[in-house]
Amino acid sequence: MTDPASPPLRLRALTVRYGERTALYDVDLEVPRGQFLALAGPNGSGKTTLLRAALGFLVPAAGTVELFGSDVLRLSVVERARRVAWVPQEESPRDDVPLADYVLYGRYAHLSWLQGEAPADREEAMRALAAVGLADRSGDGILSVSGGERQRAILARALVQESPLLLLDEPTSHLDIGHQLDLLTRVRELSRERGVTVVAALHDLNLAAKFSDRIVVLSRGRRVADGSPSEVLSEELLARVWGVVADLRRDPRTGAPYLLPHHLVPPASPVPGTFLGRGPVHVIGGGGAGSPYLRALAEAGYRVTAGALNLLDSDLETAESLGALTAVEVPFAPLGPEVRERLRALLTAAAAIVVAPFPVGPSNLPNLEEVRGVLGRTRLLLVRRPVGPEWDFTGGRATELLDELRRHGAREVGGVEELLEFLAGELGVNAAAPSA
Amino acid sequence: MHLNGPPGSSPSPRRTVPLAWFVVGLVVVAGVAVVGVAGYYDYRGSSPAGPVTVTDDLGRHVSVPSDPNRVVVLGPSIMDAMYRLGLRSHVVGVDCYAASLGGLSDDYSSDQVALWNLTPSMCVEVEPSFDTEGLLAIGPQLILAATIVSTATIEQFSDTYHIPVVILQPASLGGVLVDIQLLGEIFHVGPAASTIEDELDAELASAAALQANLTGNGTPFPTVLVTYSADANGYWTYGPGTFGQSLIELASGASISANSTVSWPELSGEQVLASNPEYIVYGMGFGLNESSYTDGPFWSQFTATQDGHAVGLDSNYFTEPDPSMILEGLPALIAVLHPGSA
Amino acid sequence: MAGPPRGPVAPGRFSVRRRWTLALLTALLAVGVLFSPLLGTVAIAPETVLRILLHQLSSGRLFSDPCAGAPVPPSGCPGLIEIVWDARLSEVVLAVTVGAGLGLSGGTLQGVFRNPLADPFLLGLSSGGTLGTAVVVVFRVGVGEQNLLLPLFAFVGAIATGLVILVAARSRFGSVETLLLTGVALSSFLSAVLALLLVFSPTGSLQVDFWLLGNLGALDWSEDGIVFGVVLVAGTLLVAYGRELSLLQLGSDVAQSLGVDARKVRVRLLLLTSVTTAAAVAFTGVIGFVGLVSPHVVRRIAGNDYRVVLPGAALVGAGFLLAARDLALVAFPGTLLPIGIFTSFVGAPFFAYLLFRRRRASTMGAP
Repeated sequence: MTDPASPPLRLRALTVRYGERTALYDVDLEVPRGQFLALAGPNGSGKTTLLRAALGFLVPAAGTVELFGSDVLRLSVVERARRVAWVPQEESPRDDVPLADYVLYGRYAHLSWLQGEAPADREEAMRALAAVGLADRSGDGILSVSGGERQRAILARALVQESPLLLLDEPTSHLDIGHQLDLLTRVRELSRERGVTVVAALHDLNLAAKFSDRIVVLSRGRRVADGSPSEVLSEELLARVWGVVADLRRDPRTGAPYLLPHHLVPPASPVPGTFLGRGPVHVIGGGGAGSPYLRALAEAGYRVTAGALNLLDSDLETAESLGALTAVEVPFAPLGPEVRERLRALLTAAAAIVVAPFPVGPSNLPNLEEVRGVLGRTRLLLVRRPVGPEWDFTGGRATELLDELRRHGAREVGGVEELLEFLAGELGVNAAAPSA
Repeated sequence: MHLNGPPGSSPSPRRTVPLAWFVVGLVVVAGVAVVGVAGYYDYRGSSPAGPVTVTDDLGRHVSVPSDPNRVVVLGPSIMDAMYRLGLRSHVVGVDCYAASLGGLSDDYSSDQVALWNLTPSMCVEVEPSFDTEGLLAIGPQLILAATIVSTATIEQFSDTYHIPVVILQPASLGGVLVDIQLLGEIFHVGPAASTIEDELDAELASAAALQANLTGNGTPFPTVLVTYSADANGYWTYGPGTFGQSLIELASGASISANSTVSWPELSGEQVLASNPEYIVYGMGFGLNESSYTDGPFWSQFTATQDGHAVGLDSNYFTEPDPSMILEGLPALIAVLHPGSA
Repeated sequence: MAGPPRGPVAPGRFSVRRRWTLALLTALLAVGVLFSPLLGTVAIAPETVLRILLHQLSSGRLFSDPCAGAPVPPSGCPGLIEIVWDARLSEVVLAVTVGAGLGLSGGTLQGVFRNPLADPFLLGLSSGGTLGTAVVVVFRVGVGEQNLLLPLFAFVGAIATGLVILVAARSRFGSVETLLLTGVALSSFLSAVLALLLVFSPTGSLQVDFWLLGNLGALDWSEDGIVFGVVLVAGTLLVAYGRELSLLQLGSDVAQSLGVDARKVRVRLLLLTSVTTAAAVAFTGVIGFVGLVSPHVVRRIAGNDYRVVLPGAALVGAGFLLAARDLALVAFPGTLLPIGIFTSFVGAPFFAYLLFRRRRASTMGAP
């Protein structure tokens, strides 16, 4: 029948296409028993598609979906219903069916063809209603109750299906904050107390972080992150996948990470203001070396960001006076992990990065290290500087890094004018053209 | 709840009737119902075969009783034949429209009702629905039907209640004579049938002679429009394959609708004006008279109308394939188209 | 729109209501069945009718002379017995059978298409059946056997149309919307073919009209039995799908996730309704409104659970057809009107009444 060792859900190289569009590409996923997994990702990233594939609603272009070891498409519809239950994103019932009956519909997979419901089935339904806190509303119609109660009733229906795997598609999208917490708390209880494996598509990363054991992030049909909430949640991820600049905090009560969004990564807009219409220009500087570049770029009409700088740095003053976003660290301290996160986010968001001729010491060396991390993705411009100890206080490490950058396609410019000229020349050139 | 257990196990108790047994049981019950009801309660048994077997106009071989005196006639054309054969007393029922909606007078003209002495008590409703009960109340031994009734319905009635049905629907004028012969056979009125046949033959011969004369002289047949209904769009007339057309041909007339594609075409006012027939014959009876046609398009502009060659004749002459059509209709039409011919 | 909150409810309360509804409808139908043989085009006193019925049921042991004292028609007492037993009673049984079949089909199709305006002829079955009869009439197929061939061709014509829909249902065009459109298109096409055929045979149109208007009479007991048997078997199978049909109302996806193979169930239901409808009307012709109105009556009383709606629609359909027949006989004594006219005459205003007086939140009742 089913292999007790098989995971409740396993996707192997799953690829799903809708006509020309690829909704999921080569996704591998294995969900162990009893885990509460949150599927996250922007709209259109493939979360719903993944769930629908798991339910056997569509035929993949490649790869397989296995429920407890069996290919979902080879199972009969009833067998599928016995293994996996579904709470859809929205359901529009046509008739005002009483909740008791509505929930009872979930027993279908356990009834044989001509049999009516046994008292045991009805008890099951009442228990499920009690489990979601609707026991005293069992006579009310599904259309008469509030959206939150309806969603809970649907959850109860999924419960009476007695399926060991539960899939929820954005179950909180139509709920107010109280109901969101309520529903997810109950789902988590289910997972913890009854061993139900839960896979929930959640658009709210913070809720996902708060309630789930594991988060898998999808972006444009690919799996881009997978791990515990602490592992997965980062400012860089939010910038890269969602295009949002945020601050990462920690919930003082639970220690769970949460993200405070600020605004969008500056969206594509026509010149001027952004380089090639894709983003601001980021200036890495310090000790006043970045200021002339910041001012010149801003005057030329570009939006600028800067970092990482310490609180007392004059470049920071310049940046803030220009209204630029910054990554800031306390003075004399090495770059902390949060600041590095932030820097990474800014670097990712930038369309061009300018490394001003600032003095590099151990505390701001990580700036260069982070730049190396975004190699190949954006235009990288280094302002020429003489070789020598006047600016390299890292025992040669900074020089090595700059060399490396140069080797990997960073371009050198002599000064502000050359920089501006270069940027202006790049305008109108195909963004895909090689930079050096 | 056994949520950790292997999927597929269901703890609820079963109160099942396996589907297969259920269906079998149903089929058995249904079968018993059918056989039992039909067989056990059918008290009628098969009817005794009549001594005479005839072949009717649709090719059906029907076994009929000898000289039955409770006959139901469905169709004025048959009633005409029965009357001329002196068999009126054998007829106990005739076709009618629904009693409260017209009854006798919808099928039979007042002249016919008077001539054949028809009464409402003889009514058997065949339109808009077939009244089984009424027919059963009358209890005929034989039904003579024209195809005004749904053939399937009358055959069903015949099968169910074991009452023979002979369908008389001549396909051509020649069939009228065949029917007379058939009736003569059933009712043992050979001599009367022969007499009528002779009359019919004589009439037909006379018309044929006239036609031979005209063709011999090279005289063209007079053009004619025979219309049975008029409305704002034009005039309904008889096309190829109809009795009306046959009658016109027999009467040595040239119908302006002889080459129509459909059997009962409607000619527009323009078409009639263009063809400009020498004669117009309009059907009368059943509420139709001259004023029913004078409002038709271009009526007053037709040459025939202006020359006084628009004449009304009984519309039955053109529709009912019976002796009257030949014995009365044909001479009447000839008189109109060929004034002065004896 | 939605009803008031009703608080907690004991499990099983709703099945009790279901049973009472069905019991009530059955009782009403029984009354109708007992009352209807008293009415007919030939006026017969009720006592005589009763005596004849009992005489027949007891194979002659009771009331050896059932017509004693009553005025007899020219065909005598045997004629009266034939009228009451063979004509009227078989007509009553046929009305019940056909009405039940139409009610079931209509209810099922309303569920499959999630459309309150669906009726048994939605998929073009009436056009297919009519075309079948027209073929027999126009081409004079099998003269002498027409009483059997006409219903046979009607049945085949209706079923063939149903099969076209079924093939579509099994293909990738099998969504509910596509099926609906296919049925409508097919219906129009067949009607056009029919009209063309009849242009070349106006006498044929008389006979086809006969079938189109619907008639209950002049059938053999064995033919009644055939219709009864088919409607009983197909109808029972339909009723057994009540639960699946209820689940389908939640949407194909949700139903599938609960274990109902939506496509397979739809195909089966379409097949069963085609057979039921074709059998119901092969002999009687097209009778409208019964299939459309009956399910709505049940929904008004007992809600939209198809485990009730389907058997209820069968009972209501049977009663409705019987009532239409009886009404026609009372309103026009001594006259028989095509039953199809009367069901529309009674059905249309009744349907309008149902729509305007909607009480429940069911969107099935809303225009």
